[in-house]
Amino acid sequence: MITAEGLTKRFGAKTAVDDISFTVRPGQVTGFLGPNGAGKSTTMRMIVGHDRPSDGGVKVNGKHYAQHRAPLREVGALLDAKAVHTGRTAENHLLAMAATHGISRQRVREVIELTGLESVARKRVGGFSLGMGQRLGIAAAMLGDPATLILDEPVNGLDPEGVLWVRQFVRHLAAEGRTVFLSSHLMSEMALTADHLIVLGKGRIITDAPVADVIAGGTGLRVHVRSPHASQLADLLAGPDITVMRAEAGVLEVTGLDAPGIGDLAAQHSLAIHELTPKNASLEEAYMALTADAVEYRTEALR
Amino acid sequence: MTTITPTEPRTASGSPASSLSFGGILRSEWIKLRTLRSTVWSYLFVVVIMLGLALMLSLTIANGGFNAPDAPGGSAADQAGLFVQSSTFGVFLAQLVVAVLGVLVITGEYSTGMARSTFTAVPKRLPALAAKAAVLFVVTYLISLVAGIGAYFVSAAVYAGHDVSASLTDPDVFMPILGASLYLALLAVFALGVGTMVRSSAGGIGIVLALILVVPTVLQLIPAEWAQDIHPYLLSTAGTNMFAPTEVTGTETLTAWQDLLVVLGWVGASVAGAATLLVKRDA
Repeated sequence: MITAEGLTKRFGAKTAVDDISFTVRPGQVTGFLGPNGAGKSTTMRMIVGHDRPSDGGVKVNGKHYAQHRAPLREVGALLDAKAVHTGRTAENHLLAMAATHGISRQRVREVIELTGLESVARKRVGGFSLGMGQRLGIAAAMLGDPATLILDEPVNGLDPEGVLWVRQFVRHLAAEGRTVFLSSHLMSEMALTADHLIVLGKGRIITDAPVADVIAGGTGLRVHVRSPHASQLADLLAGPDITVMRAEAGVLEVTGLDAPGIGDLAAQHSLAIHELTPKNASLEEAYMALTADAVEYRTEALR
Repeated sequence: MTTITPTEPRTASGSPASSLSFGGILRSEWIKLRTLRSTVWSYLFVVVIMLGLALMLSLTIANGGFNAPDAPGGSAADQAGLFVQSSTFGVFLAQLVVAVLGVLVITGEYSTGMARSTFTAVPKRLPALAAKAAVLFVVTYLISLVAGIGAYFVSAAVYAGHDVSASLTDPDVFMPILGASLYLALLAVFALGVGTMVRSSAGGIGIVLALILVVPTVLQLIPAEWAQDIHPYLLSTAGTNMFAPTEVTGTETLTAWQDLLVVLGWVGASVAGAATLLVKRDA
């Protein structure tokens, strides 16, 4: 369980994280989404005390991370796959980390096996690929068998097999009742992995809701309507909760009213309809819609 | 790999009571120190330098170089002095190696990102710095001591044919060797503090080496009395005066104990600055 209240981080004049409050609950995977520079990593760094909040605070299981008697047993964090001395072997890195908490050599062996690092454990980390570095980071996070896991972009640099492995792994951890807080910029990956989403934009929380709600509610259900009486229909549909976009002549994109509602309305006014197609917004679309105003570094659309 | 092995109950992973402890942090820092090649090489250099320079200097002295003991069986104090000179001669070079090592012990963690792992495991940070300093101090002290004693035996082997002898257990011989080891160990901790403050290998090494090599020389070139007055209070001057016979440095104005206090002052300032910044700054 992670609880943030009024969490704020300012770097000079720039506010990276702006007064956010949220709760990450056990037993589910909570995805942390947002454009680059939205403040995701800064938030995660504040959870484990790397960055000191300018205001507000964040607790893990009721205490600040540093106040726990055995921090590694409370929280496993993968914040940066390359947070390892390149001159040391993977095994020695894990042994050094484990030693601080009196964690056994046996457990070090377990996490090496768990992450499939057996063949490279005695090799120096400098020669590791990004994917192997991620696995080592996950191994280090699992050392204390923690009830809470914080993973910043864990699938970054992994091959498809590794991506699948991480997805199954975090689902499994959540199923065991652990708290899993996972950031990613891969929306499609989040749709498959997360149960709950916290979307951050320009340091503020845009959405904090179950994934299903975000997909359904982000842009709402959209209905593609083709009719020879498009403009008449558009006037009829117009209302406070309904948006109508004219995509091309005779075609409407309607949000805020479902397909049966549109069909019934058209029938009441005897307007012919040639096509009526409900379109489920993908998480990707929902996300783009949510963060459209909050993108820090926008690329111009290709013409 | 793609199948998930069920995680064992919480108690399977070592004793459930195990938690963060200073003893554990000390063990962790000891593992970190000995599992880097650069550390091993640095300490090997220290030993080679101490033994090699002891051999060179004792040969020079024995074969009628400067300070030739042409009166066989000069006073016992003179003979002990010759042993101290050759046994601790390497410190003037070894101090550079130790200073660089002290900086790298921490800046190597910052440059690779390891520091973030360290502070994830030890979020209060200060115990990690204290453990690092303690391990670095003890290991540097022991290795310097072994090297110093080795240098004594190298010198003894050379002097044996020239009728110069002094016992290792003679306080006039043993205390300076202890003092030299203490200086090297304290210098390493001083450098660790500087490295922690600047968090950059190049910056830290630059500052520490400038303090050891450049500042004393520059001060001697300044023809003002204040420049000469502060000279004994420089880290390297006080440090080498802790063990070097007066005639080597020629600037003896403080007793060996006062020299030690001066060195401790430098180390204390460096570590205090490091501790303050370490807690205050974002990792």
